[in-house]
Amino acid sequence: MVVVDAATLAKRELNRKLNSLLAEGERSIEVHNPGSMHNLGTALKGGGEITVHGSTGFYTGGFLEGPRLVIDGNTGWYTGDNMLSGEIIIRKNAGSNCGPSMIGGTIVVHGNTGGRTGLGMKGGDLLVLGSTGRWCGQMTMGGRIVILGEVGAGLGESMYRGLIHVRDPQAEAKLGGNVEFHPISADEVESLAQLFATHGVQADPKSFMSVRPMTSGRHHYTIFNPQLSGADGR
Amino acid sequence: MSEHERHGASLEKSTKDPAVREEAHSTWSREVLSEIRYKAEHGTHRIRGCGTPRPFPGFNDLTVLPSQLTRMAVDTYREPCETRTVLGKRFCTQPLVVETPILISGMSYGALSKEAKIALARSTRMVGNSINNGEGGLLPEERAESYRQVVQVLPSRMGFSLRSIEAADALEIIVGIGAKPGLSGHLMGSKISKEVAEFRQIPEGIDLHSHPRHGDIFGADDLVIKMEQLREVTDNRIPIFIKIAAGRVREDVKIAAKAGADGIVVDGAQGGTGAAPVVAADHMGMPTLPALVQAVRALEEMGVKDEVSLIVSGGIKDGADVAKALALGADAVALGQSVMAAMGCTVCRRCHTGRCAFGIGTQDPELRARLDIDTAAKRVANYIKAMTHEAVILAKASGKTRLRNLEREDLRSLSLEACAMTGVPLVGTDFTFTEPFGFF
Repeated sequence: MVVVDAATLAKRELNRKLNSLLAEGERSIEVHNPGSMHNLGTALKGGGEITVHGSTGFYTGGFLEGPRLVIDGNTGWYTGDNMLSGEIIIRKNAGSNCGPSMIGGTIVVHGNTGGRTGLGMKGGDLLVLGSTGRWCGQMTMGGRIVILGEVGAGLGESMYRGLIHVRDPQAEAKLGGNVEFHPISADEVESLAQLFATHGVQADPKSFMSVRPMTSGRHHYTIFNPQLSGADGR
Repeated sequence: MSEHERHGASLEKSTKDPAVREEAHSTWSREVLSEIRYKAEHGTHRIRGCGTPRPFPGFNDLTVLPSQLTRMAVDTYREPCETRTVLGKRFCTQPLVVETPILISGMSYGALSKEAKIALARSTRMVGNSINNGEGGLLPEERAESYRQVVQVLPSRMGFSLRSIEAADALEIIVGIGAKPGLSGHLMGSKISKEVAEFRQIPEGIDLHSHPRHGDIFGADDLVIKMEQLREVTDNRIPIFIKIAAGRVREDVKIAAKAGADGIVVDGAQGGTGAAPVVAADHMGMPTLPALVQAVRALEEMGVKDEVSLIVSGGIKDGADVAKALALGADAVALGQSVMAAMGCTVCRRCHTGRCAFGIGTQDPELRARLDIDTAAKRVANYIKAMTHEAVILAKASGKTRLRNLEREDLRSLSLEACAMTGVPLVGTDFTFTEPFGFF
């Protein structure tokens, strides 16, 4: 195991050092004093595990490709943006827009996330053990989002592809436009059980529902919605 | 006959009278009536291709002053004039070097056929300029054919990944485009073929209204951090441009420059697109000419005009536009609609239907087959070569041995409107009104 003190390095130097250690075959790296640094873990490649002791700023693990990045704290907005593969494990909470445009890999948030979780995501898994804010899964083009706690309004708004599993009893009332709400399928239960087992999550996959894109794929939008006062308009 | 009946009869007669029906009406023109009927029938706004047909003040409202006794002309046919252009050298180690300051702007595979994209890419190898992939990913065929490749970082990130960055000679973060500023990309279902759908990871045949904002850039402060991230991902190798639609240009350009852009692309309201709400195309944004002046003013006020490359687009059509844009302070121009016209497009404004008869703005296999890639590539290259000739002719006649040496003092305004908008003095005078553009 190698210990890196982030307080002694600029963020690019830190990321370079981490990538250099991973390239040398180091399997376990501990980062201390991250100081809410932005862009920590940008474009890390290869195998190995990096554990950050403390909270990080925006864009944690962006463009990640391969390693397991564990944040023993909170992360700011845009965690795991555009990530290709690997894992990001956040022991506490993540800010808004967690996992935007992620292509592959897994993000696990042990706490809560802000709004727009998984915005525009294209692949991979995004698992939130706590609750999430508004517009979770907005305009996703692939991948799977799983929320164990409460969800906000606009759930799955205008998904193109992908899947969201929720067990918030109020979820159906919080659906966004252009999505459908279905019971979870047997295949999805099995797949979800595997995901939970992998990450040590104690939850019954059968208690979840599925939010999917409209079967037709043809979205409808309401730009003007007059709130008429009565049947006769008076 | 009552007055009411007489009025009715009169109205009926007048509407049957061809002379009356054909009389031009300043408000209720045929276009306006067509719009009203469409909205009355469908209850929604209209979509159209090619941007706005509205007349705007433009580069034709300026003239270039020739050299006579105050300076010597450069021989048009026998003396050199440098056209090579270096863009985005501010912070990167490998700026974008092109042989002419005329680039091909972002047009997506989806909006255009694969054949059109390949033809455009192939043309860049003939003249030494760059192509820009547009939304929806980078076609391997485009990358294989292009001389220099700009890759867009779009809000939707369709087809975008670390692999796209690795293939790029420059990145362009899209904030907006001139034809529909503040709106998302529109790609109508007729163009989302099976192949395009797979490429973009979206269902086949849907009407796509893609992401209007970046999921990972929610404001200028975030943009600063995002730029740092992209710098790190690219290891400062290639330039990063930021493209904005012309709106509050002075402020937006300053924000982009402050965020660390190597270059800024300003897209004026004349810019084209495959599909846009008519109301947005016709009634939003600033025309290219005043937008360019505002952008130059902004960079000069920041003291970074020589550091940050400025690329302007939106209705650029000939070498005179290029010369005047460079004289006003642009480092390069980008073309969209005009290179489509070079391939055969007639600007029918029905790109959104996907029924382009020339095989350019379509995904229909039969229509696509009508576009001969080699011929189209040659025509685009010819067009850009001829435009470069025209710009060089004007530059040499103004006594310049480099295109980039054209300067605002070489220009005069031909109209009060252009004078007021640009601060370039009215022809025949040394005077301007409103804010002078720096040389008097």
